[in-house]
Amino acid sequence: MTEDPAPEVAGGWQRLDPRMLLVYPVKELVRFLPVLLGVFVAGTASGGGWWQVAGVGVPVALGLLRYVTTSYRIAQGRIELRRGLLNRHVLSTPVDRVRTVDITAPPVHRLLGLTSVRIGTGTASSDEDDRLDLDGLPAERARSLRAELLLTGPDAGTTADLEPPAVLDLDPAWVRYAPLTSSGLVLAAGVLGLASQALESLGGIDIDTRQISDGSSGWSWWLVVPLGLLAIGVVVTLLSMGGYVVTNWGFRLTHTGPARGGAWHLRRGLLTTRETTLDDERLRGVVVAEPIGLRLAGAARASAIVTGLDRGQTGSAVLVPPAPRAVVERVAGSVLRTGLPMTAPLTGHGPRARTRRYTRALGPAAALVAAAVLLALLADLPLWLPVLASAALPVAAVLAADRAAALGHVLVDGHFVVRSGSLDRRREALELDGVIGWNLRATWFQRRAGLTSLVATTAGGRQAVAAIDVPDTVAVGVAAAATPDLLAPFLVTGE
Amino acid sequence: MTVPSQPIPAALREPSQRVSPRAQLMWGLTAALEAVVLLVVLTVAGPVTEWAPVPWWAVVLVALVAAAYVCVVPKWRYRVHRWEVTGTAVYTQTGWWARERRIAPMSRIQTVDHAEGAVARLFGLATVTVTTASAAGALEIAGLERDRALALVDELTLMAETLPGDAT
Repeated sequence: MTEDPAPEVAGGWQRLDPRMLLVYPVKELVRFLPVLLGVFVAGTASGGGWWQVAGVGVPVALGLLRYVTTSYRIAQGRIELRRGLLNRHVLSTPVDRVRTVDITAPPVHRLLGLTSVRIGTGTASSDEDDRLDLDGLPAERARSLRAELLLTGPDAGTTADLEPPAVLDLDPAWVRYAPLTSSGLVLAAGVLGLASQALESLGGIDIDTRQISDGSSGWSWWLVVPLGLLAIGVVVTLLSMGGYVVTNWGFRLTHTGPARGGAWHLRRGLLTTRETTLDDERLRGVVVAEPIGLRLAGAARASAIVTGLDRGQTGSAVLVPPAPRAVVERVAGSVLRTGLPMTAPLTGHGPRARTRRYTRALGPAAALVAAAVLLALLADLPLWLPVLASAALPVAAVLAADRAAALGHVLVDGHFVVRSGSLDRRREALELDGVIGWNLRATWFQRRAGLTSLVATTAGGRQAVAAIDVPDTVAVGVAAAATPDLLAPFLVTGE
Repeated sequence: MTVPSQPIPAALREPSQRVSPRAQLMWGLTAALEAVVLLVVLTVAGPVTEWAPVPWWAVVLVALVAAAYVCVVPKWRYRVHRWEVTGTAVYTQTGWWARERRIAPMSRIQTVDHAEGAVARLFGLATVTVTTASAAGALEIAGLERDRALALVDELTLMAETLPGDAT
């Protein structure tokens, strides 16, 4: 480090960037906001001005203290973070245990040219205190630290100006896919919920439904309902698009270092920028998800199966945000270093698996219809109830047909590839070296039909890749071909 | 590792070792205790709280089902439960209605646990759990004789230690 603005403390301990002196007090003030409001209200009521001063002063002092008491060092192959005034807390981890270095920069940090560095060791602990967060390093120091810790290539630090060609750059036009994902809808629903609560607490809007019903307001239900639905649709669309832009703006996926043994870098975010690094060594496969909305629009999204992510950090394994299918396949192909797992034709699971899809979908639907008929007869409910319920049958049939068509698996180019699902269709490709073991599960019904669910367990992603309802002998055959040494001693011989 | 070839249909044989026959008693007692608790709750909850009146025939029905479960399921479990450890892999078969076979290579084993539940101790039995780096891949062998289980833990720990790699 030639220039290091951070003041050094004895023993190689370094403080965070002094500019954090501006950030910490503000953060503490925000954290104390509810208390502050109370203090101000109470203070105004009692007429004393000192309380207000203390109310602001204490958080600011806490913020300053936090800066003074936090320091870190990298020495003797360990990275250590020391913090706290009364409760001294020292976190220490060997450098070679570091699995991820994520750099985020919230808006205030960006204004000051700072970043927050999270060092992940793949811990299962979700305790806030066990996180190795260096909150407040200059951007270039954060990058060189990352290169130092992850050893990504011999000179990853100096090649910063010579940026490698992007494997994926976000096309702003892809924002059109945002309303088609469930996450977009959830976000929009959340915002609408908050807004309605805020309106409620401010007195609410009073709509007189009687005026609409008797037509005296000049509005009729035939106008109000479609208009209302349209308005909600527009708002939801806009909100989910906004969410897509805020999260994915400037999305850029690059690869540095040698073709194998390098690392993938991912940068995104409009207000808060996030940079994630995934080592090739920890990459076990790729999942391409096509929720029904995206699938109908010819789009998909992809994420990586990565080992060593901390619990609750799964979001950082995103590889491609909702984008056209061709783009997703191209990126998945270059991440896997072979396009075959994403394009190769799959082996279907046969007629018995198809039958099972139908029985499993139609069974509950039929039960629903039967219950509705019984209720209508016994409890004297209106007749339209069973008629409405019987609409579930064709829906279930369509779903079953789509689910049956999705089923498939293949072993291709060193990958175990599986596809399943209808509303949430996924094609998963897992590197065979990433297969830790096999689970073969069959219920009594499955055994009667000669089917088995073949699950390859892995240390990344959802921890498992499952091919459901594969014919028994095919399932064992696939596992045996994928990991011959593992299965060989347990195979039935002499046939 | 050999290069994967194209899959040809194949079948797995069952693991060679069975668990202790006393495991049936263990499973039976556990199921019976659970059934008793359930029945007591059902019979007491009705009269005492008044808000959940359970008709007597429902209680009898539950009792019949529970009795059938206690009689049949432990035997069924015992017939399914099998295990095998070779120099390179651990292979287990568990379950009753849903049968699950799990195979994990020795080189991917992370921890080997030995546990003795309260009921298991009555019968001198223990459970050995082998975990891998995948949360979906733990192998459990329940109903082993205590000494057999301890020996197995030692054997597995030794074998897992001698193989290199970080098991992910």
